[in-house]
Amino acid sequence: MEITLSHYLLLAGAVFTTGMVGFVIRRNAIVMLMCVELMLSSTNIVFAAFSRFHGNADGHVFVLMNFAVAAAEAAIGLAILVEIFRRRRTVNVDDFKTLME
Amino acid sequence: MTAADLIFYALAALTLVPALWVVGSPNIVHAGFNLLLTLLGVAGLFAWLGADFLAVAQLMVYIGGVLVLVLFTVMMTRVPQAREADSGAKRAILPGLFALGVLVVLLLVATGTHWGAPALTDAQPTTAEIGANFMTSYIFPFEYVSLVLLAALIGAAILIREPRGTEEDDEAGAAVETAEEEVQS
Amino acid sequence: MELLNLNIPSWSDLAYWRPEAILCGTFLAALLGDLIGRGRRPAISFVISVFGLITAGAYSVAAVLHGGAAHTIMGDLIIVDGMAAFFRLLFILAGLATVLFSWTAEEIMGRKRENKAEFFYLTVLMTAAMMVMAEARDLLMLFLSMEAVGLVSYVMAGYMRTSLRSTEASLKYVIFGAVSSGIMLYGLSLLYGMTGAMTFDGIRAGLLAGEVNGLSLLITVILILAGMSYKIAAVPFHFWCPDVYEGAPTPVAAIFSVGPKAAGFALMIRFFYTTLAAGADPSASAPLIELINWPLLMAVIAAVTMTYGNLVALRQLNVKRMLAYSSISHVGYLLMGFVLLTDAGLAAILFYLAVYTLMNLGAFFVVVALNNHIKSEELDDYAGIGFRAPWLGTMMVIFLASLTGVPPFAGFAGKFYVFTAVMDRQWFWLAILAALNSVVGLYYYFRVVKAMFLTRPAEGADTTPLKIHWLQYTVLAVLAVPTLVLGFWFGPLKVLADQAIGLLSTGM
Repeated sequence: MEITLSHYLLLAGAVFTTGMVGFVIRRNAIVMLMCVELMLSSTNIVFAAFSRFHGNADGHVFVLMNFAVAAAEAAIGLAILVEIFRRRRTVNVDDFKTLME
Repeated sequence: MTAADLIFYALAALTLVPALWVVGSPNIVHAGFNLLLTLLGVAGLFAWLGADFLAVAQLMVYIGGVLVLVLFTVMMTRVPQAREADSGAKRAILPGLFALGVLVVLLLVATGTHWGAPALTDAQPTTAEIGANFMTSYIFPFEYVSLVLLAALIGAAILIREPRGTEEDDEAGAAVETAEEEVQS
Repeated sequence: MELLNLNIPSWSDLAYWRPEAILCGTFLAALLGDLIGRGRRPAISFVISVFGLITAGAYSVAAVLHGGAAHTIMGDLIIVDGMAAFFRLLFILAGLATVLFSWTAEEIMGRKRENKAEFFYLTVLMTAAMMVMAEARDLLMLFLSMEAVGLVSYVMAGYMRTSLRSTEASLKYVIFGAVSSGIMLYGLSLLYGMTGAMTFDGIRAGLLAGEVNGLSLLITVILILAGMSYKIAAVPFHFWCPDVYEGAPTPVAAIFSVGPKAAGFALMIRFFYTTLAAGADPSASAPLIELINWPLLMAVIAAVTMTYGNLVALRQLNVKRMLAYSSISHVGYLLMGFVLLTDAGLAAILFYLAVYTLMNLGAFFVVVALNNHIKSEELDDYAGIGFRAPWLGTMMVIFLASLTGVPPFAGFAGKFYVFTAVMDRQWFWLAILAALNSVVGLYYYFRVVKAMFLTRPAEGADTTPLKIHWLQYTVLAVLAVPTLVLGFWFGPLKVLADQAIGLLSTGM
């Protein structure tokens, strides 16, 4: 069986689902951010695959922008995480009850 | 099954298996290093898709930048009781069903859609085209994303910076400030 | 490598993009000003920010007065048209009001050992980013502009670091924000795959030309909606909203409650209207909308959002949290205009957003002004405060009455247009539900008024009159007067909103 576009989409769908499930079941904020990275990576696979099969470079441009934004998001997210760790000595989101009623 | 297919499946396994490990592993450090493998797999897929520039950028930006950042944070925030209390089977059922639903829907979308994709031509080097795009029709987003990165840089610095000195220091600082003002005026 | 067909932006494009360019420059200047003042002279950044916002506002007003056609600039990635002009004014109003009001807000300026200038230049940057959100006509700019607003919001939410609440709220905000943008991105990638295009027009053409699978389009739209719902805080992506508003300093919550929400609506209007609805050829759009049963989808989201927001707001004892839930219910009312993607509905959204910006900013600013003195946002602490600051109390009554939607305040006119747009197309159950919700709203808004004017303060409590800064009175008056006037003299704003949407449909 030849490798078609659908193969790449199936793989990306599986990675996306993995990341989403991880985000739902894990309670460690760092692991949750890692799961988001998985989801973003799956999107990058989709874009690259479509770009290849549509034969235009728009998808590549999008993936590169996505790299930049993912890096920015990780920087902000981890900065907040380190800041909160300084105060609470924990990065488990279940411990963050200050806001809950 | 040809060699080309085998390479694809190998890369797919390299992407997906560590991804599952990231989600399943109770050890954050293991999760981080498995994320490294997944990102390597994605870089391989990029290369396999003829996206040579993306593959290199993935290695440099994602693995060299983002992942190192994540690992640093792991090291900085490692607490002795890193294990989570939630690995019970009870909490895995609902997310499992949810995952199954999402997966089935995404698979239906992937297989059931007419994507209108033409037959593949031989992959060409993409760097020149990407570069031309960034310097011409996509120059605006290129500039805009630099503003976004600057904002993120400043934002991270704002968030992480220690407050200036102690309360007494602040009063001392204010005194210095007034003294400076007097000197200037 | 052929370069001939590429669309190269020229410097002359900037002529249509002056307000945004000025704000970006203002951001950098205010940042430099802060560095020159070594972080101890927030006044430098404040003055630069105010000056930049006013200049950008003047250019935006000039652009509206000149009227004129839509211009696609920057290599066809950005469109400056009537709707963009409308939202520019809205965002600059919100940004300027927030910057001016915060100058006297203890929550921002009263903190020792912290940099205060950051708030001003971040607000300016956020204003610029929101304006780009209203102008994007390409998937890439859609994504980048949403992320830009998001990233600045995350920083502003975690800005007041002395409070644990604030840091936790911003962590939640950033983590869930990242995941929602990841979900949206997957939808965008599928859309790109279906059509092979990045611009909204190209996507529309691709969807109409190809054989579209209904399920795939529905899933794609739902994924994209998920990301956008997070921005506007619609159920089920609302959970961050009360926590972030409560945790963040009140001036930050004030601009969060209007700015990014309005920008999210602007983006949704342009995206869904151009890709799924009328566009250049109204007859061709119906199949796409019907294929995914869009009206029912939006009606359910709108109904659930407004009902949930209102019912939870009933139980709140903290005024800030109450306003957060009330803002969720207002998102529900606004989404009603989306149900049919008609011109009337979208114009009603624009009108309502303008009114909502005035009244909601006003209500939050009163909370800021009171917080300066009583250091609390609990309803119990508001007892009898109306007599200590009668003018402030009166303005709060105006804003809350307008939020309820009682005539003759502006909120009534806004709701009236949204309701009629829905009833025109026989969605009576939705209109009735919204009307019932407004009655529920009356109860919790009035509870604040009751606390301020009808409740006696506790024995021995401080009853001296409060001194409110003149700048605060000025800003509040600028918000309160239109809230009153627009209640019966809403013609011009309505014309402006109709024009903005009209240009969108006849448009390009």
